[in-house]
Amino acid sequence: MQSYDYPHFPDYASNFHFALFTNVSNAADLRNRLVQASTMQGEEGEAERQAVDFAFIEATLICSSLHLRSAILNSVLSQSQGTLRTKTVHSEILWNLNPTNNISDAIRRYGVSPSTTSLIVVRIGPPSPPSTIQAQMQEVVSGTLSPISELKNITDWAKVRKYHKIGQKMDKDPIKDTQKAHEIVLSTVAMKSVVV
Amino acid sequence: MPGKIRKRSPLKAPERPYIALGLEGSANKLGAGIIKHSPDGSTEVLSNVRHTYITPPGEGFLPRDTAQHHRAWALTVINDALKTAEISLHDIDCICFTKGPGMGAPLTSVALVARTLSLLYNKPLVGVNHCVGHIEMGRQITGAKNPVVLYVSGGNTQVIAYSQQCYRIFGETLDIAVGNCLDRFARVINLSNDPSPGYNIEQEAKKGKRLLTLPYATKGMDVSLSGILTSVEAYTQDKRFRPDGPRNEADTDIITPQDLCFSLQETVFAMLVEITERAMAHIGSKEVLIVGGVGCNERLQEMMGVMATERGGQVFATDERFCIDNGIMIAQAGLLSYRMGFETPLAKSQCTQRFRTDQVHVAWRA
Amino acid sequence: MTLYPVLYHSNMSEFNTPTQRIIAAATLISQGAEAKVYKAELHPPAISGSTSDEGYESEPVLIKHRFNKQYRHPTLDASLTKSRVAGEARAINKCLRAGVNVPGVRMVDLQEGVLGIQWIDGQSIRFLLGGGAEGEEEVEEVDDDGFEEDATESNEDSLKEYNITQDDTMQLIGKEIAKMHKADIIHGDLTTSNMMLRRPSASDQVPELVLIDFGLSYTSSLVEDKAVDLYVLERAFASTHPASESLFGTVMKAYEKEAGKEWKTIGRRLDDVRLRGRKRSMIG
Repeated sequence: MQSYDYPHFPDYASNFHFALFTNVSNAADLRNRLVQASTMQGEEGEAERQAVDFAFIEATLICSSLHLRSAILNSVLSQSQGTLRTKTVHSEILWNLNPTNNISDAIRRYGVSPSTTSLIVVRIGPPSPPSTIQAQMQEVVSGTLSPISELKNITDWAKVRKYHKIGQKMDKDPIKDTQKAHEIVLSTVAMKSVVV
Repeated sequence: MPGKIRKRSPLKAPERPYIALGLEGSANKLGAGIIKHSPDGSTEVLSNVRHTYITPPGEGFLPRDTAQHHRAWALTVINDALKTAEISLHDIDCICFTKGPGMGAPLTSVALVARTLSLLYNKPLVGVNHCVGHIEMGRQITGAKNPVVLYVSGGNTQVIAYSQQCYRIFGETLDIAVGNCLDRFARVINLSNDPSPGYNIEQEAKKGKRLLTLPYATKGMDVSLSGILTSVEAYTQDKRFRPDGPRNEADTDIITPQDLCFSLQETVFAMLVEITERAMAHIGSKEVLIVGGVGCNERLQEMMGVMATERGGQVFATDERFCIDNGIMIAQAGLLSYRMGFETPLAKSQCTQRFRTDQVHVAWRA
Repeated sequence: MTLYPVLYHSNMSEFNTPTQRIIAAATLISQGAEAKVYKAELHPPAISGSTSDEGYESEPVLIKHRFNKQYRHPTLDASLTKSRVAGEARAINKCLRAGVNVPGVRMVDLQEGVLGIQWIDGQSIRFLLGGGAEGEEEVEEVDDDGFEEDATESNEDSLKEYNITQDDTMQLIGKEIAKMHKADIIHGDLTTSNMMLRRPSASDQVPELVLIDFGLSYTSSLVEDKAVDLYVLERAFASTHPASESLFGTVMKAYEKEAGKEWKTIGRRLDDVRLRGRKRSMIG
């Protein structure tokens, strides 16, 4: 798991933690759990929402940790300015990752789905010990905790390019081609507040 | 410019006093002014007389009628100027007149007077570029050394800076002039042309409260103003437009002519200040001089002042005597070039409606 | 495991928003008429966990802050700033998609008038061509896009450091501009200060030419606008790099090659633009 401290962000959102899980086996259950948690009543509901208070992201659509961090940065900026488009700072990450302005599209594409096998789990919050957060993540996700550097073997570039409408080849050299596609993705996420 | 050694001025101190008569009539103002340059380097305005052709509200001035006005008033104005200065035409060194740019008919009617006087009294003619006249008078009055000049009037909108004996145009309007834009809007809302439509817009704008969205069109150091005029005119067709104020107390979501004047000024002046600042940044100047009829506008002066202060600089502006077209500025610029040996032979004294500021050889500056 | 710092947060409270704090911690590089330019750190390193990516994250960013203009009505100022930051970001995105080398966007804060872009490790063409020595009156303030160095110190050997000849550099310029124009983007302020060579990552690599500062850019498919864009560059070459006709000639040849059949009309229009100058004839 990666942990970061952003001194320029307000205390309630100054720490980010994210972890990559591979071989995830409970994606369908997890998704159901999220849906149910959102409507549960009373103290039980509170506790359940607490337990799943993360962003669950389809890892095959993430190109790099900078890609993810750019979406997180936008989400916290919106939260601190009171301009969240979605209900929570965590769902805002999904919205920021999606190149179009459709919230349900964003959740369907970038959120956890029954077919998800690689998952990125994100927590934005006040400073707290990484070990605690990691334990909370492992509590809800059944899968192998993997180093974020594994991402480069996971990214589904065909899908990323499709969602970002990067049809043509950007360069003859395949490495440069992917680099350039990555740059488009990064820029598109970073300028999400600008309607393209 | 930092570190630059200022070159010696090519203009030598006069060995005797020089006196010039300046005649201006490129638009609806007819002006005659007499200036004196003394051996001690001082400059004295001996007289500065003006008569303005004022049309009824809703009407602009047409070339033919304006020329007629100038012809009718020329002798009165010139005699007035001579009387105030307490000199006769025999005492004068040269007769300066506006060669352009401006409206053809008014220009030629004044040039005709200049030629006639030149032949009658055997005095040399000096043709002057109207814009250079504004700049030189502005420099003279304010003492600004090497400012970026914003020249804003009914016919011109330019950002100018001096370089190598030429007033280079850094930015200008791509369509209509700012004064033209304001005057035409004054006509739309039926403001009086007395003393000038621009002055009345300024007074109305002070009562405006609501800033309406108008297109903001700067392109590098240039501006475009015709779209703004169209948009501000369109607001007078809006169903919220109340030419006579609110209908009753509940009538609050309204647009008044005052709001429109306010919005027009705020938008257009912001654009002008922006391009002026860009030019200042480009050439590294901290001084700005506003000349031309619109230069009298105190809101424009105020905005320019804020900008200049932020840059650690200073704004120079003159009052209506020198901002608005006048004869003395023609005399000043004309006398400067006359002292450098420049004269306009009779055969070449025709006027030109198109005469760019950067076509003038500014021989008197280093 | 590293301890997570908490002390840090309180002493930055005087700056109200995250963006203001990012700027407060950044290094000011230059101040233009409209914007201040900073070098900033956007993403701090991990306090726990593996060092992640390929090193992208540790890259600094260039922050361009369009500060308030006190002379402007606040409502007008806010909406203008927003639309300009957005416009610049859009132009960059469009360039990226068209394969034009430009610094990518890293953050946008429309409320604060802030655009964060990728930091380019390299130098401006103006510097590399030794165009530092300023002409008599052609003193240019440091550009709004700050990658500028001390322009008075020219460095003639610096192109060698980039393994590239002057001629090849000019070709890269022509090609990049043509690519941009093909995407119907008009730069609006093409000067040698607004293009950079990116330092190659390995000694055997060719440097990339990167176009910067899209603050005055706009979209247009008009031949006129493209021709004027080129004319502006030609003038900039002439004023900052005296005796540079042959350099600009090489730029134009490469542009012609990349532009293909478009060149015929653009080239012809460029001749017209040269003849009339940029300015319209003035009517009283």
